[in-house]
Amino acid sequence: MSIALDQVTKRYGGAPVVNDVSLEIGDGEFFVLLGPSGSGKSTLLRAIAGLSAVDHGRISLHGRDVTHVAARKRGVGLVFQNYALFRHMTVADNIEFALRVRRMPARARRERRAELLRLVALEGMDQRLPAQLSGGQQQRVAVARALAHKPGVLLLDEPFGALDAKIREELRRTIRQVQRELGITTVLVTHDQEEAFAMADRIGIMNQGRLLEVGAPHELYARPATRFVATFLGAANLFLARRTSEGIQVGGKTMGSAERSPGAPEHEVVAVVRPEEVEVAPMRDALASRYLGQGVVEDVAFTGALERLRVRLDESVDAPLLAAGEGEGSGALQVTRTRHAHRGFEVHQGQRVAVGLRRVHALPTPLSSFTACAPSMELADALSHQPLLAELVARMKTRIALRIEPALGVADEPSVARGEFFGTTVIAAGEDNAKRAEWLLRRGVKDLLVLPAHATTPQRVLIHWIGEAARSATLAVSASVLRHVPAEAVYVGIFPGEGDSERHSHGMRELLDARSEAQATHGLEMRTELHFGDVAQELTRRLMDAPAQMLIVGVTELRQIAAGLRGLLDGARWPVLIVQRGAS
Amino acid sequence: MSFRKASVLPGFGLTFGFTTFFLSAIVLLPLAALVLSAASMHWSDFLRVVSSPRALGSYRLSFGASLLAASINVVFGFIIAWTLVRYEFPGRKVIDALIDMPFALPTAVSGIALTTVFAQNGWIGRYLEPLGVRVAYTWVGVTLALTLISMPFAVRAVQPALQEVQRELEEAAETLGAGRLYVLWRIILPTVLPALLTGFTLAFARAVGEYGSVIFIAGNLPMKTEITPLLIVIHLEEFDYQGAAALGVVMLGISFVILLAINLLQAWGRRRHVQAAH
Repeated sequence: MSIALDQVTKRYGGAPVVNDVSLEIGDGEFFVLLGPSGSGKSTLLRAIAGLSAVDHGRISLHGRDVTHVAARKRGVGLVFQNYALFRHMTVADNIEFALRVRRMPARARRERRAELLRLVALEGMDQRLPAQLSGGQQQRVAVARALAHKPGVLLLDEPFGALDAKIREELRRTIRQVQRELGITTVLVTHDQEEAFAMADRIGIMNQGRLLEVGAPHELYARPATRFVATFLGAANLFLARRTSEGIQVGGKTMGSAERSPGAPEHEVVAVVRPEEVEVAPMRDALASRYLGQGVVEDVAFTGALERLRVRLDESVDAPLLAAGEGEGSGALQVTRTRHAHRGFEVHQGQRVAVGLRRVHALPTPLSSFTACAPSMELADALSHQPLLAELVARMKTRIALRIEPALGVADEPSVARGEFFGTTVIAAGEDNAKRAEWLLRRGVKDLLVLPAHATTPQRVLIHWIGEAARSATLAVSASVLRHVPAEAVYVGIFPGEGDSERHSHGMRELLDARSEAQATHGLEMRTELHFGDVAQELTRRLMDAPAQMLIVGVTELRQIAAGLRGLLDGARWPVLIVQRGAS
Repeated sequence: MSFRKASVLPGFGLTFGFTTFFLSAIVLLPLAALVLSAASMHWSDFLRVVSSPRALGSYRLSFGASLLAASINVVFGFIIAWTLVRYEFPGRKVIDALIDMPFALPTAVSGIALTTVFAQNGWIGRYLEPLGVRVAYTWVGVTLALTLISMPFAVRAVQPALQEVQRELEEAAETLGAGRLYVLWRIILPTVLPALLTGFTLAFARAVGEYGSVIFIAGNLPMKTEITPLLIVIHLEEFDYQGAAALGVVMLGISFVILLAINLLQAWGRRRHVQAAH
């Protein structure tokens, strides 16, 4: 393993810029860190180079722990966006810099320089000054300089950012070629997904300091696990869909059976459909793919090789579109077609077409949409505008439904209609939270968010579950929440009784198990804490510690709420997300 | 070859005319008057005045102390500028403003203040005295006064240049294996060298012409702590205008040679930097 990061965290003034990142990069691999600006990708690269110290975690290069080793002793080569060439030195002196520092004899230096200049195709440029070179040539010099001392790892920080498209293309090829020829482990940071696709063996996608997903480019594109990755890696139409035993249903029609999950209860999911996986045809029978419904072409744009359409589905098609293309939910489906398809069926604005979906991918994330539930319309509406909820909805690119339950928490007759609750149900925190929570959970609510009116984005999310059956679901929900909130995750393990040494070591084992499951199965990095005593008391104490905290608690049975959590829930001043799974 | 070049702003004729006139009226004319005044002397009188042992001693002190002061300021001015540019600390703005204080102070005030501190019975002088170090009324005091009043020039010249040194350059050097001293010597200093030279020139020019602050702390012993500007004033007080002018011409000549040398050095350095960029 060339580079190994273990729970690396970097904070600037309290806020984590890099949040619990663990990653392993193999020998000779070309790894691309992709993310929007401010996602922490450059900071992570600088941490690997040793230019900024980390607050937590470990970094090893080729099996050597370098967490506390100075940059100059790490043996890395770093290339900057703005070249950072020494302007008062010639190309030759720039390239030989690292060799001079190492007191290499002049002849060996010259030979190495010639070799490097050949590698980056700049032979004969030795005596030029950086100011006499074009941007692309300067960056080639920078690459050669970074490779001079035969570093174990090559790090590239947005190396093409300052170059125009054509040069960029050429330099990309050169760097990939050099990398292959030398077999050097390389990490490239970029915000350009096309660049990432073109160069990477594997891509790691970062957002808000977290490493969300890691995988081969085509894998991430076809089967993203999160909304962010789905929409960041190219255009995507996001539907609220249902996962049934037959497959994924969009608008009530089963779309694909590939991602079947027999046995699992039917539930709401978010489905991703790439624009090129949408088919349009003059009529239903002409579709080669599964029919979704009828729509009207709103817009046709020609972009050279591809044609982009926006198609508004008829009202009668019950397939809520959360987001389409790169823009936010404009309500129209984005479609791209090849020239070939265009020749087969020409469309123009205003035309009615039949729409089919070739391939549908359901996100494995358990949080699909929100339902604000209150006894009256006004209260539900007010709740839907609560700042934290509004932020979550915006970040998750999902929707929020309102639901009126006049008898919420009061009457308990079974005659109340048991219509299904969609997604995560939200109630405003009040006096009798526990009672209302029970009322809702008894009526089939799986995830319930109890939200105080003033709650804002949490900085820390505490995670706990009562009963092992709730563990996996709680971790999945936590992972989903934490992908959209820049907070640190802490699993609070609480065990009964006093913490003697035997119980202590048992507790630590459980914590480590939980941590590795979170990491491996849900891509969630979390800290762990060990406490002994009463669950509600310990959690309350921990929540009182600091402001801006949130609790995610998993339960298996309703009576656990009555028994253990009533004191914690009633009059709660912090958001609590209850996850009910398992035997109930 | 055309004398004028097209420019975005019109009015080359006007501005050039103004430049010539302004330079002539403010700089060249008075200087010419000085030279003329000295030229009206007999050649042997001129030589006698400017090469008297007292005059020679004063040149040595004036230019020696000025060069020394400028050198000190380049070193410490660099450090001060570095601190101000590179670090955020409480009171940074205050220190930044303090740098300019010697500009604003009447130089006589600086002289009095320095004497208060460094005289034998002064705040610091009284502790230096038993160590055998005398500051006031020696060349050390002169250098100190010149350093004080020329310090802002050095700092202000280097500051913008240091701001331009990208941190990335240092980081690049660091990842390539260079230690801190190596980075300072091979990367930072070469980059700010032109600015350092400018700072040196300005500080030196300011120090050579200084009068007010020095006369208080120098003690003005002929041959020992008498600077040339003071000697000129002494000639004036004796109504020996020609003698004063003669000394003035010599100062002018030496200063001009030194400044020209530094300017040539700078131009040479610049040429080496961006050798035929196009």
